[in-house]
Amino acid sequence: MKNYSQRSGEIGDFSDIPFWKKADAADLVYVSYGLLIVTLVVVSYLLGAFHLLPHDPHDIRLDLMMSPPGTAGHLLGTDFMGRDIFSRLIVGIQAYFLPGLLAVAISLIGGSTLGVLAGYRGGMADTAITYFTNLVDSFPRLVLILLVVAAFKPDIYYIMIVVGLTNVPVVASLVKGKILFLKQKNFVEAAVSLGLPARTIILKHILWYNCRSLLIIQATLGMGEAILMETSLSYLGFGVQEPSPSWGNMVQAGANYFMQGKFWPSTAPALAILFTIMGFHLLGDGLNNLLEGKRGR
Amino acid sequence: MRLSGLRPIALVLTREVMITVLLLLGVSFVVFVILYLAPGDPFSMLVEGQVQSEEARAGAREALGFSQSWYSQYFSWVTQMLQGDFGTSIRTGLPVASELVFVGFNTLILTIGSMLVTLLIAVPIALYSSVRGTTALSWPLTMFAYVVSALPVFWLGYIVIYIFMHRFGLFPLMTSSSRGFSWLYALLPIVVLGVGNGTISEVIRSLRDEMGRVMSEDYIRTARAKGASVWKHSFKEGFLIPVTEIIAAKIPFILGGAVIVEQVFNWPGMGRMAWQAAQDRDFPVIMGIAMLAAVFVRMGSMFQRVVYVMVNPRASKE
Repeated sequence: MKNYSQRSGEIGDFSDIPFWKKADAADLVYVSYGLLIVTLVVVSYLLGAFHLLPHDPHDIRLDLMMSPPGTAGHLLGTDFMGRDIFSRLIVGIQAYFLPGLLAVAISLIGGSTLGVLAGYRGGMADTAITYFTNLVDSFPRLVLILLVVAAFKPDIYYIMIVVGLTNVPVVASLVKGKILFLKQKNFVEAAVSLGLPARTIILKHILWYNCRSLLIIQATLGMGEAILMETSLSYLGFGVQEPSPSWGNMVQAGANYFMQGKFWPSTAPALAILFTIMGFHLLGDGLNNLLEGKRGR
Repeated sequence: MRLSGLRPIALVLTREVMITVLLLLGVSFVVFVILYLAPGDPFSMLVEGQVQSEEARAGAREALGFSQSWYSQYFSWVTQMLQGDFGTSIRTGLPVASELVFVGFNTLILTIGSMLVTLLIAVPIALYSSVRGTTALSWPLTMFAYVVSALPVFWLGYIVIYIFMHRFGLFPLMTSSSRGFSWLYALLPIVVLGVGNGTISEVIRSLRDEMGRVMSEDYIRTARAKGASVWKHSFKEGFLIPVTEIIAAKIPFILGGAVIVEQVFNWPGMGRMAWQAAQDRDFPVIMGIAMLAAVFVRMGSMFQRVVYVMVNPRASKE
């Protein structure tokens, strides 16, 4: 980026200052949209958990089947059994919220442990990470998940453990790179020569002070991916099963009606997936630009 | 190419083949361990209610190879695979290997076709923004990349099917007697997967950054000063390497997306077969598919290494 903006001539006919300002504004928009989505997801999760819903998501009203959005009392219409789509969307968050957090926790804890081992100690751990990364990368994640589904049972927590484990190498290599960079810095040398225990240096000086933002960004992106996986698998019929709502199985259930021109029952959850995943991606990228100073153009 | 140019390629190929063998062994071991730990082997589902006496059960187990220790099971599976024998499907009783060739070929068409679609969309955007920098178009293009990467591919599939069915009245599934539109049948899933596999935004980002970096190198300035073709000088480093790198890295994701797209469009490929096998707990089939998918991914990565070494022969000594 830096050397690019130093260019002159016919390629870069823009001055530096307005561009930076613009980039910052874009990042702020990204982050605020992302935070809005995260807040909505958390609030909706709590609403669903305490059953504070406009309608019972399992309440079958055959007289109101396939009502369009805006029908009295049903903001987003009803599905093929007359169930309120808005309530089902809110409850659908239950399907991925806690499992997604589990996946994120696994990838962050496993990734930073491996990354610290490889970056700080090197040697065997480094080789192990390289092999582990290559092993995970040489496998379509969805095929691995189908394998686990076949071997055990179609349980969302098993699926999310796999998602978390397959994200470990990504986090590990980022943490490792960061540590290799930090090790040359004076403050680590100073901490070592002060005789601070390795535990303090790693946990406090390296992970907490310097990898915090990196881990937050990875958590955001990981959550987006967990949502994508949950919805895809529920769509395929391996995640959350009817009548429990999940955005994925709602799209699937609405599919037959979609072909008859009744788009809404599967479009509403599909748009929810789209805006939510986009929110997490934008939040991750925006934070990356703001906190890590990497400006993607 | 001169003979001296082949040496680095041979070097890197040898090393990549060795890495591939190691990784495939690792993959096979992971696959085996997962299925070995599975509660209730498929054997008991297979003979449930059919074989009554305990001796007959033991005999059937023996015949299916379930009575051995785990390592001899693993080794016999791997040696059989090396001889091209992937076992027989529990559901259909047919040999898995011949099925794998069929579905693997179908998925390969879908995957490669969708990669081309991805590149057709992503490359112009990336080159445009790396050469022009930030313009009025950058913002909509960035947003487009974000929307596309978050789009649920199954829903995109429905929209496309709906439009083609109702607006144009052509969809081969409806008129299976006339095969006139079979090319369309092949094209729709390819385009849908190409748009919806979530890699467009990453291709754009990586290509744009790399091309932008190369564009500001000294040798490009020299080429420009001499009046030589900038594109010709930036092609290898700024285009070929990032594109092959990102595509090779994204093959697993594209194969994952293929599972869903094959489901939406009834495409007889690996993904559909894996889906069916996961429903039936058909272990030999899913083992075979996992291995084949790993082979595809490794092929992509070998291809990427070869391209890299062709551009930069010194890298073969790393």
